[in-house]
Amino acid sequence: MAEGSAHVLEQEVAAVARAELGGALAPAPGLLPGEVTEHPSPFKYVIIFLILVVVTAIEIGTSYLEGSVAAGVIVALLLFFGLVKFVLVVSYFMHLKTDQPIFRRFFTMGAIAAVVLYLIALTTLHVF
Amino acid sequence: MAIIEASDTEVSTAGGPPAAGNDHGGHDHGGHGGGALLTNTKLAMWLFLASDCLFFGAFISAYLLYRGRSQKGGPTPRELFNIPFTSATSFILLMSSLAMVLALAAVQRGDLRRFRLWLVATAIFGATFVGGQIYEFTHFYREGLRLGSNLFGSTFFVLTGFHGAHVCVGIIWLLSLWGMSMQGRLGQADSEKVEIAGLYWHFVDIVWIVIFTVIYLMPQPGK
Repeated sequence: MAEGSAHVLEQEVAAVARAELGGALAPAPGLLPGEVTEHPSPFKYVIIFLILVVVTAIEIGTSYLEGSVAAGVIVALLLFFGLVKFVLVVSYFMHLKTDQPIFRRFFTMGAIAAVVLYLIALTTLHVF
Repeated sequence: MAIIEASDTEVSTAGGPPAAGNDHGGHDHGGHGGGALLTNTKLAMWLFLASDCLFFGAFISAYLLYRGRSQKGGPTPRELFNIPFTSATSFILLMSSLAMVLALAAVQRGDLRRFRLWLVATAIFGATFVGGQIYEFTHFYREGLRLGSNLFGSTFFVLTGFHGAHVCVGIIWLLSLWGMSMQGRLGQADSEKVEIAGLYWHFVDIVWIVIFTVIYLMPQPGK
């Protein structure tokens, strides 16, 4: 009897959780806590790593264009390449793409807060 | 956020008794029965990483704020930075991130031999990166750059020094996991512990991605 009540309660809690966390709470067997879909395969990890290496090489090459290309263009390109690498690592190596959206929300909140806060500070202090 | 409780495991699998469904290959997770969907430890790690964005953001901003404004003379970034060398150490840190995810993939499928191998590889890559940083610091010191010699010295050493300290903490953490695994105290059921260490390690990597781009590669003032 008590076991049956506990089971019903557990189902209700899970229903509330699904409603609050975007319905992404149905893990398959073998997944880690917080993992919505399976992590990438080792082969995919290697592919992501190779993309990171290529982007880094292009980034380094871009920095050597200093003097022949406007500094603003170099800065924009470097920021773009840095952002691509950042997003790739966070999405695939840190599994934000396959994990619960709540992790992505927390981390994005911190990262955006840092960027906005310090951009305001640097702009106020006439860095740009 | 009604589901967040002060227990290790917050939400159980719907539609099944405890220990059914998500049991990581027959192992109970965290002693609370299987089917855990969110754990406080992982959530806490993500919150810590979010706050660490602000921590490193402050030092990167300080570097940008004082860039090219040194009044006291002393060596400048343009005179000191060795881009090919730093590129090589950045590449090593990227390789450590690959080794870390391969270690996690290995422990998740229960291949403990490969897990230990990749874990040690990650630590070795990390140690090589720190070695490169020590070499760079030593070289800069010999060229006359000190913590107090100019604004560049202060902001550069504090920023990269804190990053290096984070890498060192990560290496100790990885070696601890390796030691636990060698003693049989860490197996497939503890994959989440490895994942959380991995989150920290990859964060250190993305912070370096930003530092490498913003501090080393961006055009330096004063040309």
